[in-house]
Amino acid sequence: MSVPRRLKAWPSWAAMFVVAVALLAIGSTRDSGPLNPGDRIDAISRRVACPVCDGESVFESRNPASEAIRAEIRASVYDGVAADDEILSAIANSYGGKVLLVPSSSGFDALIWALPAAGLMIGLVGLWFAFKRWRAEAAALGVPTEGDYDLVEQAREQHRGTSDD
Amino acid sequence: MSAALGNAGLLIALVAASVGALATSVAIIGENRRALRQAPIYAAIIVAGSALAVVAMQWALFSRDYSIDFVQRVGSSTTPALYNVAAMWSALEGSILLWVIVLALFTVGVALRFAKRRDDELVAWALVVMYVVMTFFALVSFGPASPFAPGATVPVGFDGPGPNPLLQNHILVLFHPPLLYLGYIGFTVPFAFAIAALITGRVGEGWLLETRRWALLSWGLLTIGILLGGWWSYEVLGWSGVWAWDPVENASLLPWLTGTAYIHSVLVQQRRGMLRVWNLSLLVATFALTILGTFLTRSGVINSVHAFAAGEVDGYLLGFFGVVVLVSLGLIGWRGDALRAPGRIDSPVSREGAFLANNVVFALFAFIVLLGTIFPLLVEVFQDRQTVVGAPYFDRLSMPIGLILLFLMAVAPVLPWRTASAGTLRDRLFWPAWCGVASLAVAVVVGADGLAPLLAFFLGGFAGGAAGRQLMLATRRQGLRGLVGRANGGMLVHIGVILIAVALAASNSYTHSATLTIGRGERVEWSGHSFEFVGVSTEVTARADVVMADVLLDDTRVYAPAVTTYLQQGMTVPTPSVRTGWTSDVYLTIDGNDPPATDADEVVLRVFVKPMVLWLWIGGAVMAIGTVLSALPSRRSRRPTDPTSALITSGQHV
Repeated sequence: MSVPRRLKAWPSWAAMFVVAVALLAIGSTRDSGPLNPGDRIDAISRRVACPVCDGESVFESRNPASEAIRAEIRASVYDGVAADDEILSAIANSYGGKVLLVPSSSGFDALIWALPAAGLMIGLVGLWFAFKRWRAEAAALGVPTEGDYDLVEQAREQHRGTSDD
Repeated sequence: MSAALGNAGLLIALVAASVGALATSVAIIGENRRALRQAPIYAAIIVAGSALAVVAMQWALFSRDYSIDFVQRVGSSTTPALYNVAAMWSALEGSILLWVIVLALFTVGVALRFAKRRDDELVAWALVVMYVVMTFFALVSFGPASPFAPGATVPVGFDGPGPNPLLQNHILVLFHPPLLYLGYIGFTVPFAFAIAALITGRVGEGWLLETRRWALLSWGLLTIGILLGGWWSYEVLGWSGVWAWDPVENASLLPWLTGTAYIHSVLVQQRRGMLRVWNLSLLVATFALTILGTFLTRSGVINSVHAFAAGEVDGYLLGFFGVVVLVSLGLIGWRGDALRAPGRIDSPVSREGAFLANNVVFALFAFIVLLGTIFPLLVEVFQDRQTVVGAPYFDRLSMPIGLILLFLMAVAPVLPWRTASAGTLRDRLFWPAWCGVASLAVAVVVGADGLAPLLAFFLGGFAGGAAGRQLMLATRRQGLRGLVGRANGGMLVHIGVILIAVALAASNSYTHSATLTIGRGERVEWSGHSFEFVGVSTEVTARADVVMADVLLDDTRVYAPAVTTYLQQGMTVPTPSVRTGWTSDVYLTIDGNDPPATDADEVVLRVFVKPMVLWLWIGGAVMAIGTVLSALPSRRSRRPTDPTSALITSGQHV
């Protein structure tokens, strides 16, 4: 076995896996501290629709109504309201639930979460059935004989002879 | 005069398209070869009529012909010449006219490209389909969405408002919509050939080969159009983002998603003769979604900042969408037996298995985007209440999908056709996987955190390594010609996509912002940068007053975020000023809508520090170059009937 091939053997893959998991663990668990107030205001305002615009969030919109909601969010953040959801609830109480850009997971709105999951399941089940059918078809053909391989080789030879390449 | 010429042009296009469709159909059915050879002549007449209408509209806009209603709404003597050109597609009627001329150009392109095969039934039926689609759009433009409808009498000295101010303050407005339309409408060509293949029963791989470059060209143009839209949003709208999951943006993304699935799965059909129904369905879906997107944008049923004012075209577009879907599905059902695939996919761990997985993921992605876009409509219909579905929903669901696609981009290029052994994967994926680990290590060292972005950096490096490996092998064999051709150009496109994915992961995860109040002459430090408010400057023109806050950034250069007041509309538009850098942008915009006073003692700025945004645009350029290279013929062109790369032997499956 040549050196490059040995290098690519499974122990090297195991080492790579360990390094990758360690890096992911270090990066994803490190404490980068709380969000600065500006970032937190942005994160919350991205989840609220401008009540009078056409499909813009409070974060994007320059409408005075959005400016007012952003000011409310800013005031709540600087007043030390602990949870983002608390701030969002207060806004929903003032302006109605329709200003929240993330649909709820109950009632009719739950469909928007359930249907993609159902779509994924249908896709996976469809693939499973397709491969099951293809495997059954392949099994029905039986194992190729030497004669089959000879036929294929003849066809390839013939093809090479007529190919434009 | 302009109105008469424009109407005449549209009428010529309408008559030529409808007569062309009818006469060519009759000629095919009657096997009248002489009449068939005349079929392309209608395309020439269509393009002449459409061009006449466009020239008439441009002349009306430039000469401020206020006898026309459309010009009254979007024309103005104060609009600069370049934006006057773009005014044509700034409102519904002109945008349909743009559709008409682009479709006419594609129709004549098909007629010229296949001029030597005019009596081939496949080509003739494809032309019939193009003529039918053209008839529909010419009818809409001549009828309910006429850009030449007479306007009300206006007083002497009347001047129109001009286009929406947001559509006249950045040069990208000239390119973004036409490129998007070229992409949308270009998919009419493969769709027309698909329908022609179904009608003629020639449902093998021939029509795919005929339309491969048309599909690729359309996909490339749609990609560039979408990216330019993101760039325009970033440079103009002042919220520092490139994509807001707005319904109209989603309408452009939907055909891109199904089109992307198609240009991958079509390779399986070309190579293995499989997935015929699936490929036809993807093409029909892509074309139908362009019509559905046009309906959503122009009917007023969905709220969007991009939408045109509601017109009278919604019924027409919805009806045409229904016809396209029903006829296409009917034809696919009719040819059901002929479409049965002669082969099978031997193993999920194979190139075609990866393409299939790619297609399932893209189809799911398209379904999610469509569902999120029309869900407010469904809620209104079934629950009689209003709701909105915004970016957080799409972000949440698209993130895992993006990661899966990056994984597939990493693995698929090294997979052989038919099946792969564990040893093959171990050897071929070794260095790409280390590229992923290296990319992850760099990210961790520079302080990146959060599982999702870190996974994106790892998979981005992994996929980049896989694409780089393929390109290295190809260029080692063939020199620079190794970059040309479907597979290798495609790898370059992958590298562009990876750059965009990594840039989006970084900019969405690590953007910092603050609202800074800075006194005149004061220097404020924030996020490693210094900001000094130097003063206020102004620019006054007949069209607009521009008030700029001059801010010295990092003691190096003055940047000038502005508020522009458009005098005709009385509308203020804040315009950001951006310092672009290799690793991050500093994005400055004046807070609020009101321009600062010229003697203001302080200015309130919204400041964003956004990492890696430049790489979005570089990724887009790489994708464009890759698309062109993949459309060029490679030296080692392979016939679709060539033997596949791996023989199946027992026990080789993994």
